[in-house]
Amino acid sequence: MRKSKLFSDHMVTLLAYLFIGLFGLLCLYPLVLTLSVSLSSEHEIVRHGYSAVPLKFTLNTYIYIFANSGMRILKSYGVTIFVTVVGTLGAMIITSMIAFALSIQSLKYRNIIAFLCNFTIVFSAGLIPWYVVCVNYYGLKNSILALILPSIFSVWNMFLMRTYFSSISPSLYEAAKIDGASYFRIYWRIAIPLSKTAVLTVGLMYALQYWNDWWNALIFINNKNLFPLQYYLYTILSNVNAISSGRIPSGAAAGITLPSETVKMAVTVITIGPIIFLYPFVQKYFVQGIMTGAVKE
Amino acid sequence: MKSKRIQNEAPGPARDRKKEFLHEMKKNKGLYLMCMPALIVLVMFCYIPFAGTWMAFTDFNVVDGIFGSKFVGFDNFKYFFSKSSMGWRVTYNTLFINFFGIILGLIVPISIAVFFNEIRSKVFKKLTQSFMFFPYFLSWVVVGAIIYGFFSTDVGVINNMLRSLGMEPIKWYAEPKYWKGIIIIASMWKWSGYSSIIYMAAMANFDGSLYEAAEVDGASKVQRILYLTVPMLKPTAVVLTLMSIGRIFYGDFGMIYGIVGNNPVLIDAVTVIDTYVYQTMRTLGFSYATAIGLFQSVMGLILVTIANRMAKKYNDGEGLF
Repeated sequence: MRKSKLFSDHMVTLLAYLFIGLFGLLCLYPLVLTLSVSLSSEHEIVRHGYSAVPLKFTLNTYIYIFANSGMRILKSYGVTIFVTVVGTLGAMIITSMIAFALSIQSLKYRNIIAFLCNFTIVFSAGLIPWYVVCVNYYGLKNSILALILPSIFSVWNMFLMRTYFSSISPSLYEAAKIDGASYFRIYWRIAIPLSKTAVLTVGLMYALQYWNDWWNALIFINNKNLFPLQYYLYTILSNVNAISSGRIPSGAAAGITLPSETVKMAVTVITIGPIIFLYPFVQKYFVQGIMTGAVKE
Repeated sequence: MKSKRIQNEAPGPARDRKKEFLHEMKKNKGLYLMCMPALIVLVMFCYIPFAGTWMAFTDFNVVDGIFGSKFVGFDNFKYFFSKSSMGWRVTYNTLFINFFGIILGLIVPISIAVFFNEIRSKVFKKLTQSFMFFPYFLSWVVVGAIIYGFFSTDVGVINNMLRSLGMEPIKWYAEPKYWKGIIIIASMWKWSGYSSIIYMAAMANFDGSLYEAAEVDGASKVQRILYLTVPMLKPTAVVLTLMSIGRIFYGDFGMIYGIVGNNPVLIDAVTVIDTYVYQTMRTLGFSYATAIGLFQSVMGLILVTIANRMAKKYNDGEGLF
């Protein structure tokens, strides 16, 4: 009896290692594949197909890309970096200010303001009215602001920050109030320094959102100089997709030069770029953010 | 004259409320000012566009503007669900993809969390969690590129495998029937690591003494998982599922466009309401597209309200929002 129980326990452990190990590999493999194709020689890839080990290791693809469309990519990089930095800074200021205000218990209309925020999550006007207002009244078509403003305030992130701010003891604020400090001063001098993790977590979430955004570009931007990196990759891939469907007449397809397999993957790697390098350092903040958000529920 | 009378007759409480309001504004001026930038953004990008939903009931043209165009009542909605249009099709696609997304989004992350808990090796845990969480950091465009690497007809990994098994390669990008499945699995792949962290957070709060007691009583690991862990994860699972059900009418635009792009053969099979709105805005006009968006928002609001009520019932008054 005892023995069979132990056997089933061992089976569970074994199964756990297998399941987690396999799923982990399933998540890793595509990235290794992408990286290794980008480092392979085009000729070998066409002959043997995609492979998770570089076939005839070479850096030629990267050299080729930067020699031929280097300016294009650098420009897109510039757009993406600008949007990410400015957007994240702006979003952090806007979000942390309102989150701080809503964390103050004595603020009488905080529930009304929180409702105004919440309502936008559950009900929206839809894409078209939003688009018409943005283009006709705010002039966002082909403006770099179109990549920043529409996503500069996330209600989710605000509530996440408010959870952190709420955990600061109000007695700290009281002391500062008695000394005559304004709320803004308390926010800047006490609340923010005490919530460094929160600031970092939410900041990283905004940064990731801006880095990965291409939707705003799809909607608002058709000036090539303002293409962010992700959208640049999207335009390359969607041409490829459309042609591999076989429905586009060959005459029309002939006008579009297809990027080679290695180029596609190299551009993908360039797009992921900084995320790969930063990932080991920022991962834990995201985990923390998700956990805090989950506790709120 | 009229306004004066109203002022004179204004009952006490109302005037008090006004006074109170001004007093509060003065007292906490700083705090309200700090809310302003965010509220301005919300008004600009969420509340002002509400006026534009009027387009759904008109035959919009640029010359007459939003409020000058001809009023047509519910014609746009009727057309959406008429036989000639894609209405039912895109609604079905949206619900289908989301439904299976929700099911997989329950099974896989919970399995990950439960199994993860059984692993003792710290190094193994750290490595695998890093791998599993990474897809969350990729944009759908990058995921689209990866999927291309798997399903490309000539060089893709899957066709390579089929060839080495002696089978006929498949022209994936010309076969719409596979793509709902591919998209559902891709979404599982991208989100599982993320969602499993939520379940792990819930597990971190479990009472360890329960497990010790079960162990003393001779419960096997399987029993502990089935009778302790899974029941204790249920509240989290219910809340997360209700949240997804509340959003079941919303498709993931980035996911569909990032993976399928504008491939004319595949797009019909995976068009969801959101992508359909974007397509029709160019072809069938703003009014019609607005009507579809409004239909989606209203359905979404109804479902969220129901889901929220169910969550409250289940959670002792604690709703989703």
